[in-house]
Amino acid sequence: MAGVLVIEDDDRIRLSLILALEDEGYEARGAATAEDGLAAQHKDPASVVLVDLMLPGVDGFDCIRELRREGDVPIVVVSARDDTHDIVAALEAGADDYLVKPVAVKELSARLRALRRRARMTTPAVATLVFGDLEIQPEAGEIRLDGRPVAVTRTEFRLLCELAQHPGQVLSRQQLLKRVWEYDFGDERLVDVHVGRLRQKIEEDSGKPRRLITVRGMGYKLQR
Amino acid sequence: MRRAGLRTRVTAGFAAGALALSTGMAVVSYQLIRRSLLVERESAAVRAAYYDATIVRAGLATGQPDIVDVLRTLDTGDKRRAVLYRDGGWYARNADVGVTTAVPNGLMRLVERGIPGIQRVRFDGRPAVVVGVPLSDSTAFYEVDSLRELDHTLRVLAIVLAIVAGTTIAAGAGLGSYAARYVLRPLMSVAAAAENIASGNLAARLDPAVEPDLARLTSSFNDMVDQLFERLERDRRFAADVSHELRSPLQTFAAAISVLTRRQDCLDSRTATAVGLIAQEADRFQVLVNDLLELARSDQPASREPVDVADLARQVCRSRGLAAELVKLEEPVEPTWHVDQYRIRQILGNLLDNAIRYGGGPTAVRLAQRAAVHIIEVDDEGPGVDPQDQKTIFDRFVRGRAAGSRGGGNGTGLGLALVAQYAVAHGGRALVEDRPGGGARFRVELPRIPS
Repeated sequence: MAGVLVIEDDDRIRLSLILALEDEGYEARGAATAEDGLAAQHKDPASVVLVDLMLPGVDGFDCIRELRREGDVPIVVVSARDDTHDIVAALEAGADDYLVKPVAVKELSARLRALRRRARMTTPAVATLVFGDLEIQPEAGEIRLDGRPVAVTRTEFRLLCELAQHPGQVLSRQQLLKRVWEYDFGDERLVDVHVGRLRQKIEEDSGKPRRLITVRGMGYKLQR
Repeated sequence: MRRAGLRTRVTAGFAAGALALSTGMAVVSYQLIRRSLLVERESAAVRAAYYDATIVRAGLATGQPDIVDVLRTLDTGDKRRAVLYRDGGWYARNADVGVTTAVPNGLMRLVERGIPGIQRVRFDGRPAVVVGVPLSDSTAFYEVDSLRELDHTLRVLAIVLAIVAGTTIAAGAGLGSYAARYVLRPLMSVAAAAENIASGNLAARLDPAVEPDLARLTSSFNDMVDQLFERLERDRRFAADVSHELRSPLQTFAAAISVLTRRQDCLDSRTATAVGLIAQEADRFQVLVNDLLELARSDQPASREPVDVADLARQVCRSRGLAAELVKLEEPVEPTWHVDQYRIRQILGNLLDNAIRYGGGPTAVRLAQRAAVHIIEVDDEGPGVDPQDQKTIFDRFVRGRAAGSRGGGNGTGLGLALVAQYAVAHGGRALVEDRPGGGARFRVELPRIPS
């Protein structure tokens, strides 16, 4: 497992980020295009990937989708675009986090540490949690819906576990950010998009959720 | 007082016209009909009285007549009552004894002088006409003719005319209202389209085919919206491009400066100072770019959702390293407000930053509710804001009079302008006043939207 892979077409940004990340103690390497990045990740997987959205050729969104298809490596978008539209699209493509340029190195480093910690951390040793026909096995890292396994990313799995450990209790977006992402302050859209993706996997009709309920003005809860 | 709407005024105008016309017509026709009926009725009464008087005179011409018998020979029906005044005494048929009181004195004096007369009176509470015919120097014949039927007819006529007038007024008002609505309808659709556009739906257009008379209005309206749309789109693209172009080099700055500052100890002091200056200026530049982009986007309508504002305020305090206990709720305050969460966070953050930077730190963040507004107040213990500056402090790049003390600060002069813009996006406002006991009190008022 190598350290951080920086997929960024701007040479100066890529070089400076690699320098700064190395200073922070990461082993970092770069790729100027999505194609190069995907090839590098394929050959020698990094433990975290930073992706810019505006890339020549294959763009950032497709790059994220491709990375996600190959595994659940944590993906952080570092982009100059701060439209809600772009943020949501990137998270929906499978990114775990979204940072808007310019991001302070300290901030980036804190996010990466949290991501790595989460990746390493084994989920709490709790017996299987059952919500009707939804079964969550924290130790095995598995979710079964009606007996069939459901594929979720690590972040989605942690989000579902957090909600499952407080059945019927409303958790605010900030609480979820703190417990799942381990951010003291963060963009609440992160939570919303991940909840949305999770719903597509565990709800029959994600537009009318029965299990993962939004409580207006408060947050989310998992219905028993 | 507010001026009544165009529709109300047109309707009222039509109703008033109908009122004047119909009451005028009704009064005039009532008077004309009444007069002609009365004249006809009176001449009939006079004719009947003369006829009866002739019979009475003939009856009296016989030697020693029984006057009452003579009167009895008259065929008067039940409407006419005949009486005779002779030599200071009244003669009447048994049924008509009381009738003598109906004969007015004025008429009697006239008839005594030999002049026949007619007078309208009220008898038994009913209108009647008395005809007096002198028969000789000492004899006068009077006939009291009831106008009861005529009175009834006139009464019915009055009711019918009143109903017709009322209906005409209502019809006038209805017509006015319809006409106003008909004429205003195209304007209503313009208004609806304008509202639609104002609320963010830029696809709204007017259909020029619907109202050919207003073709110029609809086409120029649609052109205006097209241009507005293009301009907004251009602005949005420009902001996005600027954002990208400015933020990318800032990223290189941020990363490279971090590499440099990490090695500050290895640099000679002059170089280290220079690196420090670059680092500070890069920070300021970054805040400036963010604030400018925020300002460029701040005119977009607020996207409201229920927000736990007390919780939000505590978070923002903690994010600035301030105690969450600064946040004070002034009862009664609703726990959730329907506001744009992002912008309220920015308002709170910018007010706190302002208090930290220029006001010696915030002393309280107050959330309250007064009448129809939500209130956010941030108090500080700085020198306060000069009264001359209180109006302009929310303008862009204005930093008040105490700017000299801020030479080293990294404020952009845009924070309060953004607060004001965010308040306006909610239909509210931002203001500053002196805090009792010194310092400034910044207040944001946001109209309440019921959930």
